[in-house]
Amino acid sequence: MSPVTPARTVSRRAFLARIGVLGAAAGVGGRLLLGPAASGAPAQVPDALRRLLAELARDTLNGLTTFVVPGPDRYSRAQGTPRSEPGALEAGATDFMIEALDNFVPFPQQVARPVAAALATGLSDLGIELPGNLLDLLPLPLDTLDEALTRLLEGDDAIPLSLVVALLLNLVATQVNPLAVSGPFLSPFARLRFAEKARAFALIEGPDADLVALLDTELPEPLRASVSGLLRFVGGALIEFPAFGAYNERAVYDPGSRTLTGTPVGWTLTGYGGVSDGWDDFRGYYQDRTEVSD
Amino acid sequence: MADVIVVGAGGGGPVVAKELAGRGIDVLLLEAGPRHGRPREEWTHFENDANNPLSGFFRFGPSDRSKPAWFRETPQNSFLWQLSGVGGTTQHYYGNCPRAYPGVFAGYEGPDAGAYDTAHRFPFPYEELVPYYEWVEATLPVQTAAMGTKEERFFRGCETLGIPVQTTKTTTGASYRPQENAILQPGGTAGRTRDPSQLRFPQATGCTFCGHCFQGCMQPIAAPRNLFAKRSTDNSYVPMALTADAWAPEGRPITLVTDAFVTRVHTETRGGRLVATGVTWRDTRTGDTHREDATVVVLAGGCTETPRLWLNSGLPNANGWVGRGYTDHFFDWVIGRFDEDTGNSKGVGSSARCDFPGYGGLENVGLPPALQAFSFTLSDSGIRGHYRNGRGATGPWDGPAGRVIGPELKDVLAGNADKLLNVLVITDDDVEAQNRVTLSALPADAHGPVAKVQFHQRRRTARTLANREFLVRKAVELLRGAGARAVYRLDWAPLILHVQSSMRMGASEADSVLDENAEARGVGRLFVADNSALPNALGGPNPTLTTQALATRTAERIFQRYFDGDPWVATESPVVSTDPRVTERLATVDA
Repeated sequence: MSPVTPARTVSRRAFLARIGVLGAAAGVGGRLLLGPAASGAPAQVPDALRRLLAELARDTLNGLTTFVVPGPDRYSRAQGTPRSEPGALEAGATDFMIEALDNFVPFPQQVARPVAAALATGLSDLGIELPGNLLDLLPLPLDTLDEALTRLLEGDDAIPLSLVVALLLNLVATQVNPLAVSGPFLSPFARLRFAEKARAFALIEGPDADLVALLDTELPEPLRASVSGLLRFVGGALIEFPAFGAYNERAVYDPGSRTLTGTPVGWTLTGYGGVSDGWDDFRGYYQDRTEVSD
Repeated sequence: MADVIVVGAGGGGPVVAKELAGRGIDVLLLEAGPRHGRPREEWTHFENDANNPLSGFFRFGPSDRSKPAWFRETPQNSFLWQLSGVGGTTQHYYGNCPRAYPGVFAGYEGPDAGAYDTAHRFPFPYEELVPYYEWVEATLPVQTAAMGTKEERFFRGCETLGIPVQTTKTTTGASYRPQENAILQPGGTAGRTRDPSQLRFPQATGCTFCGHCFQGCMQPIAAPRNLFAKRSTDNSYVPMALTADAWAPEGRPITLVTDAFVTRVHTETRGGRLVATGVTWRDTRTGDTHREDATVVVLAGGCTETPRLWLNSGLPNANGWVGRGYTDHFFDWVIGRFDEDTGNSKGVGSSARCDFPGYGGLENVGLPPALQAFSFTLSDSGIRGHYRNGRGATGPWDGPAGRVIGPELKDVLAGNADKLLNVLVITDDDVEAQNRVTLSALPADAHGPVAKVQFHQRRRTARTLANREFLVRKAVELLRGAGARAVYRLDWAPLILHVQSSMRMGASEADSVLDENAEARGVGRLFVADNSALPNALGGPNPTLTTQALATRTAERIFQRYFDGDPWVATESPVVSTDPRVTERLATVDA
């Protein structure tokens, strides 16, 4: 690995803070990532990081699903829109998102990997620095974390799309509010107020030129031209899917018996009468006309 | 060696297959997706199980649901919603069967002749297609839709618009009416009870008002497949094609192969003319590839996959129009919230419509809760109250257009599953070269480079943009007339669901792929019989019926040109797909 200059370290450090990795490490997995001497066998570092990043992804997606369908949870409270009735978390919408993103989106790894790499290591040219006093609050040995993240991204394992999405949301979150690098939750995005989350989506959907340029840095031609379109698509899908997820039956569906084990949250919220083989809703024919012809 | 290979068992392919099977032609029908031969054992009415576009039983993907869906690149905020499997996208359609407006055909001389996409008309007159419409309408069959609560409510709004009721098949002016639907009218106990024990065939026949058109029709319980209420091709044309010897004197049952993804069309030069000779397909379960030759090849994989297959096969594209001219009816979505019951979650997906020739149309749409929530969050106008994404129009609706999310979404859905009324705005949109399918630069899948579908939502023609604004205002007026307490305009991002004209037929060699017989200009013995063959967006009417009428005409042309046969539509009467001979033979055919 090439020598890391102090300026480069600050830039990387700022970037890692912005995508939430430093905060997550400090909050949960930091003990596992304190360097080879402290963490034991270096080969375990990526596993630890993967677990940590999975938690970061879940925390971020909790912040997303409650943005679309808030409930009585702490994420909804943090964004300033608490509700008394159940919401996305009670409906299992975060699980829905993670399962969809990691198992079923047919998104090629050949693209997911460079996008993740861009988000994770390519920020040194972006030029948006964080306040120094915030960096001081993240007292982790950066080299080790950086190495571990690099190893994860350069390894052969699939990069979970839920992580890529989380990195994207957290990066944009710190652009909207630099103070989001620290606070409750692992995820900077989850720390945002409702209006700030909306501003984050405005940047993604815009899409923000800096964001496009950042993602372009790691993508080979001819894929670079795909980035802005990809962001526009993601900006839409990341709102539509939580809505569909929060109001459908997935959380209480038993695939084995193809039946429900309870009433879906979305059915209770909407007063939906449930699925049926028929309803007594036949109201006759308009003007009693049962057929037409020329 | 088959006589004819048909690629794709969706809305159009099975029509060609059934018609030619009825003439004794040896037809091989290849379908990339699943068979879905036993719906009661494979399907449920649940929205995620059915409609999750990534993992549902209705998706664009392989039959093994543990495997990811098939990828397409859509480089914009949009949603491309097509299905693989026997029946294709008709599996989740609402059976709406309006005819195209006469103004989109050659030779139309009505006073509003200039109001349509006049540069891209059908290359023949409306009157020429009428016998084929009648043939399909009798075969499916198409019937006047019964009303439910939501239709009563919708008509109450229509009655305030100052337009007449249409009582003909042909639309001649602004009007409203019940849909002409490919859905069997309710009989016996159907529509009159919610007790499943009373909803078994034959005590119940036709539509039971279950409210699950979008999750696939398997009603009434225990009905034979060809007597299910909704006439998606898996319930109508495919059963007829599989039993052709039972109902046609010269009939020969087709061979149907599913999980067969066609990856290449083969050609050779004969007598100085490039002609199709067969196809290669990949078994999506084993990965094995197979090749079959045929006298004629018919492409019917849909508006996205047909141009992809064409381009992946290296077929000629002299004028550059392969994949171009994709129309999608530039949908918008307007939702009314009512104090009273609207029956939103019950009955056929849509049984009522308005037509505004020269602009497009409106139809009511009923939805279950998760799809209703989805419909509130699809927008090109940002998030209401927060950002407008450069749009967020205001008008006679309440507040700015845009996504309804967060506390506002919770509030509008709370207890309101059956107090909402949705109006789909179906715009007469122009054929435009910029809206198109190309091959994606993203990595290929097992079937070759994937399709990239581009829509330039904000740069559509002035006529298209104006048509949508006109229709949205009519929708708002309708909902307020029906008694809505609040009206939301979503300004939908492209929901690519009504798809047309990406391999269009046309009069001019300069901007069409197919000649007036739906045969490819650049490749002989190669026809297209899905929605992509349509010359334009039909003026706004839902496309399936017109595709099926055109596919019937195409089958006749194939039979005449390549099998020395005589046309039959003008001289014979069609057999209805519910015919007892189909039912009886189908019981002996392995699903």
